[in-house]
Amino acid sequence: MAADLGTGLIALAAGAAVGLSAIAAAMAEKEIGVAAVGAMAEKEELFGKGLILTVIPETLILFGILGAVLILRLAGG
Amino acid sequence: MLKPYDMSGVIITGPKSLQEKVIKELYNLKVLHIVDHSKGDLADIGAPLESASRLSEILVKIRAIISALGIKKEEIKFELKNDLLEIESATRKLNLELNQNLEELRKIEESISKNESARKDIEVLRNFDVPFEYFTAYKSLIYFIGSIKGNALSLKEELSKSTRKFLLFDSETKKRNYIVLFIDAKSREKALDVLQKNNFLAINFVNSGNLKGTAADNFKKIEGELGKLQKKKKDIKRRIENLGITCKNFLIAADAFLSEQLEKAEAPLKFAATETSFLIKGWVPYQDLHKSIDILNKATRNKIFVHFEPAKKQDKVPVKLNNPKIAKPFEFFLDLYSIPTYREIDPTFFVFITFPIFFGIMLGDIGYGLISLIFFWILKRRMPKVGNLLNVLVIASFVSIVFGFIFAEFFGFEIYHPAVSREHEMFMLMYIAIAIGIVHVNLGLIIGFLNEWKSHGLVHAIYAKASWITLEIGFALLVLSSLDKILIAPWVGATFLGASILMLIKSEGFRGIIEIPTIFANIVSYIRLAAIGLTSVILALIINGAATEFFHKGSFYFLAGVLVLTIGHIINILIAWLGSFLHSLRLHYVEFFSKFFYGGAKKYHPFGIKDE
Repeated sequence: MAADLGTGLIALAAGAAVGLSAIAAAMAEKEIGVAAVGAMAEKEELFGKGLILTVIPETLILFGILGAVLILRLAGG
Repeated sequence: MLKPYDMSGVIITGPKSLQEKVIKELYNLKVLHIVDHSKGDLADIGAPLESASRLSEILVKIRAIISALGIKKEEIKFELKNDLLEIESATRKLNLELNQNLEELRKIEESISKNESARKDIEVLRNFDVPFEYFTAYKSLIYFIGSIKGNALSLKEELSKSTRKFLLFDSETKKRNYIVLFIDAKSREKALDVLQKNNFLAINFVNSGNLKGTAADNFKKIEGELGKLQKKKKDIKRRIENLGITCKNFLIAADAFLSEQLEKAEAPLKFAATETSFLIKGWVPYQDLHKSIDILNKATRNKIFVHFEPAKKQDKVPVKLNNPKIAKPFEFFLDLYSIPTYREIDPTFFVFITFPIFFGIMLGDIGYGLISLIFFWILKRRMPKVGNLLNVLVIASFVSIVFGFIFAEFFGFEIYHPAVSREHEMFMLMYIAIAIGIVHVNLGLIIGFLNEWKSHGLVHAIYAKASWITLEIGFALLVLSSLDKILIAPWVGATFLGASILMLIKSEGFRGIIEIPTIFANIVSYIRLAAIGLTSVILALIINGAATEFFHKGSFYFLAGVLVLTIGHIINILIAWLGSFLHSLRLHYVEFFSKFFYGGAKKYHPFGIKDE
């Protein structure tokens, strides 16, 4: 694989797509997670609901991965 | 195994005279899950049996003694005479003895502290040769005891300016100069002046008013006294300890026995009661129903009335999970999360199948699997309390050894040509992970479909769950046909897609549309099976690489190589355990359960079983 500036920028773009969306998802899940653990400390039965609510923002990462794949395909093909 | 045990609702009524007998029989049967009665228009809750207040009095004393002696709860075998009177008198004696000792201890500690403060005071005066009797009220003399900042000599000079009738003793210590000054009473003012100029700080002797002799003698006396007191204190403490050791078994056994009796005595608080009768409402597993009714009737000579009926649709039935013996440990995960309701499918068996597979794919190493198996097996002997969890881990370790053979990994080394190589066929691993995801999520949707069918009918089930499946099919067809991979026109896929969206709107409203990306996110989430597996493999490769470098270098580096190998692989195993366990569990709780699980039911807890 020729390591020229173009390939490097493409790789950077794909990495940024996933990385930034992961940071966003992490920030969201952090807040929800704090609230979920607080609720669970008062009422144990809320563990299941709390867990599901905490991981709802995972879809954001999916969009990031999608973007990264499209970028790589665009450049490669 | 996919449904909990059948439960029958029972109502037991009878005259209050038979209440105690019924309670005793129910406690021994251990099958009735009592539904607490709340104070209503028809009936109030019952009053506890008469023995209750006496029992709780003795129990409180016993628990107080247990905590005062610092006894820990443990499994003991002790023959306790079930005579309440004897237990009561034994407890009272024990309590008396303990209190006597504690009182003695307190008195000794008091006098120790008094003596210690006296000693501090006397320590100061130790260096003066002035007997204590001299420190009394005089007619023409006054005295000062204290410390000054300056030099005793300069003090003497200054005092001499005013009068010659004084006597000054001094003793220098590291911090301050201590002085004792006897001076003519008439020169009091001048003395105070001079002393103040030298930063005089008086010392008050509260505890040595009646002492005789010099400070040095008294100091020795007090040290001796303190020594004796400390020894007495140690003796008392040892006596209390011995008391604890001899009575430990009695106390623990009595605690358990009395708690049992108290539970039975306070049971009427859960019943409905009128002036002359009581009523118990509860649930009994159908298989134990008729036998229990027979036993109750025999004990009360048919003088009580028992009514039973199967569970009605809206009842909140306690759930007793019914699973084959090998799948039973996995009920631990259901306890942790939520108990499935009486009418929905119990997912424990599915978790039993898939959890070890996920764990195995992520761990996937013969060596690591063997170590895990041995470790968790040994731990199972030592800690029977978490037996369920450890059984789960043993089964999971076994499956990881199987996957280790598929991946041909032994502590990271590829020992033969494998079916799938995690190191070299990364993409294959990811495809497998996504495939597992599709299967698992759709399994969840199918279970949800069956649940909805049973509870709300076929049509509702189709709109709620089959819509998602149609969505997936439509999406797949659309993508594949636009990539020209299959010979179906794109509009087929599009129609599937459209139909599914309509069904979603029908069942969940427009909010359903927002949830569409969720299902794809859930499926892609399974790629973590590949990701975590890969991180474990690559870490192992790095460790092995570093170790082989060391081994090649020479004889001394051999030791370093062994060190790197052991520590590295231990860390890798710990990370792998944590990651595999947590992520397998999360995949079940979030991606799998969210497709069908309601939960929130009460766990079956019969009267007579102690576990909480």
